Amino acid sequence: MSELKRSPIKCVGPDYRSESQKPVAAVSAPVDFDSVTVLPQTPQLIALLSIIRSKDTNRGDFIFYSNRIIRLLVEEGLNHLPTVEHTVTTPVGRSYDGLAFQGKICGVSIMRAGEAMEQGLRECCRSVRIGKILIQRDEETSKPRLFYDKLPEDIADRWVLLLDPMLATGGSAIMAVDVLKSRGVPEDRILFLNVLASPQGIQNFSKQFPNIRVITAFVDEGLDEKNYIIPGLGDFGDRYYTR
Amino acid sequence: MIPWPVRRLAAEPHASRHPIMPSSANAAEPAGGAPNGPAAGPGSDADGTIATRAYYSPPWADVSIIGIAGSSGSGKSTLSHAIVNKLNLPWVVILSIDSFYKSLDAESSKKAFQNEYDFDSPDALDFDVLVDRLRDLKAGKRAEIPVYSFEKHARLNQTTSIYSPHVLILEGIFALYDPRVLELLDMKIFCEADADVCLSRRILRDQRDRGRDLEGIIKQWFKFVKPNFEKYVDPQRKVADIIVPRGVENHVAMAMVVQFIRQKLMEKSVHHRARLTQLEIGAQSEPLSKRVMVMNQTSQMRVMNTIIHNIDTSSEDFIFYFNRLSALLVEQALNNVPFEPASIATPQGRTYAGLQRTGEVSAVIVLRGGAALEAGLHRCITDCKTGRMLIQSNVRTGEPELHFLALPQDVDRHAAVLLLDAQMSSGGSALMAVQVLVDHGVREDRIVLVTYSAGRMGLHRLTKVFPEITVVVGQVVPDIEERWVEKRYFRC
Repeated sequence: MSELKRSPIKCVGPDYRSESQKPVAAVSAPVDFDSVTVLPQTPQLIALLSIIRSKDTNRGDFIFYSNRIIRLLVEEGLNHLPTVEHTVTTPVGRSYDGLAFQGKICGVSIMRAGEAMEQGLRECCRSVRIGKILIQRDEETSKPRLFYDKLPEDIADRWVLLLDPMLATGGSAIMAVDVLKSRGVPEDRILFLNVLASPQGIQNFSKQFPNIRVITAFVDEGLDEKNYIIPGLGDFGDRYYTR
Repeated sequence: MIPWPVRRLAAEPHASRHPIMPSSANAAEPAGGAPNGPAAGPGSDADGTIATRAYYSPPWADVSIIGIAGSSGSGKSTLSHAIVNKLNLPWVVILSIDSFYKSLDAESSKKAFQNEYDFDSPDALDFDVLVDRLRDLKAGKRAEIPVYSFEKHARLNQTTSIYSPHVLILEGIFALYDPRVLELLDMKIFCEADADVCLSRRILRDQRDRGRDLEGIIKQWFKFVKPNFEKYVDPQRKVADIIVPRGVENHVAMAMVVQFIRQKLMEKSVHHRARLTQLEIGAQSEPLSKRVMVMNQTSQMRVMNTIIHNIDTSSEDFIFYFNRLSALLVEQALNNVPFEPASIATPQGRTYAGLQRTGEVSAVIVLRGGAALEAGLHRCITDCKTGRMLIQSNVRTGEPELHFLALPQDVDRHAAVLLLDAQMSSGGSALMAVQVLVDHGVREDRIVLVTYSAGRMGLHRLTKVFPEITVVVGQVVPDIEERWVEKRYFRC
């Protein structure tokens, strides 16, 4: 078991409330990498995380509440895509100086837990193309191994939203990026969306790929002896799909 | 004249007399006393920065009350209905003083069943409760009207609510009797008819509607009705503003009454709009309240706003992007509801110092615009209890009017109430919507108004009057805008 860093305990709530009016909760560990964005630690986000972390939460609630977090991750992720100035005329005949999204995107989920994030992605990007990568631990070498991938043919021309809810050691995420790179996707066009990360996972991943933007809801305290994130939420895929 | 949309009215206790708002039982009085007073609710001055509260009185405060008294059978009720018809307004309530009969004790009750109880004496009426309720209505508050059962000769446990009428007609033989009631009346009418006309009407009515026999009716007339008339009812003519002989056939009197009421309403409307204008002072110079949270204009937010604003966007896209954005608005709104620390056991056998929501969060939709945010609401709280109110601007005066109201029964006990409207321009209807919630016992600091776009002016007005509410806004627009979002969303 590696070293644990206690989560900071902070008052969370809107600015107009005084500190004494805000409840206290454990918030995400700070991150040293500029490429990593942690979602704002709002009371609502902490409450959502509390629900999906609880061992007493049933599968229906787990799906619903994790989906709400995933939507927030996708919304934040999309902020990092390029835009151009775009002026339109409004229904009341006013001119509106806005922005238009530029470039094509696709999602790539790391099976199977990453597939749980596809619904949230689709709720924000209706007909988005979604590729899949299956990476599993090789029993002999205990290292991650690529078993399967199916990606859009023009993936090299797209921005890629890489989906995996749990970033523990970072092994499979790193391997997934290698697959994407081998298909011609440059690092700076990959956005990694993640629900819960360990400090080690962030460290390993972001050191290797400083140009890949990581968006996560929470960086937890560490890993246990089986390399599960702690305090964690258990096995995301199991809780979403089968348990 | 354009017929007014008729406000939906609930069933009435007896006879078709009281048009009354749908009742939701257990409605509490506003927590902090007068809704516009300097409320001292929790959280009001925790950091001592509470803004000075501006005065706002909803258009239904200071309701015009018209008292119509007269002998039994003199045509009060017919006259009241004729006035309502002539006024052609949705906000006129006829309140019969019969609702305020005292519950009878065993002995009196026995007498009552034998036609021996004197219902025609002022002592039979509970004027204290009547005065209280009229004062509440005059203050713009909701009033619970007792329901009296003639079958049981007792007040029933249920009540019916009256809320926000512009005109109230108080009708009954003793409508002009109690001096405290007189003080609250804007117009006092005494209905006059010959005694023989009254008696014959009463015979016909009691035989037809109340299943009494002729002998009993005549006995009651001479034992109670006539002596009481001479002693108590007739003297009321001295305090009346007008005495109307011949009831509804008296067209001149009817026209005068209707003209007078119209004049009163017009004055009030002008006054209300002047108040709204007064609240504009400082809108441009003063910063917005800290409790107004404008969504961060991130690039995705701006992209979505651009699609939503673009007249060339397809309806499909409009609805899709509006739903997506409204879910974000609701997520942001939910940061303002109360939470408490919770120790969470994870499947990993560890604990996490998390949070949980304290109490129920419900929503109230300001129709029609607010319904455009409902899809977003249900993406965040699938089974959210949802109240609705229809507020529409009067086409002539621009004044917002409350047409329909259905709130969750326990709304005053919810930890937070999200008030949803798609757009807020002048703030008139938002002010009214918040006032309605406050009048139904929802604490101001528990209200979170969620709106896609708001004018600076409207935000300023609203937070001046209700400094403790929280407002979550998608974007602040400089000018007053027509309500185009709901038109696009509902495609009509």
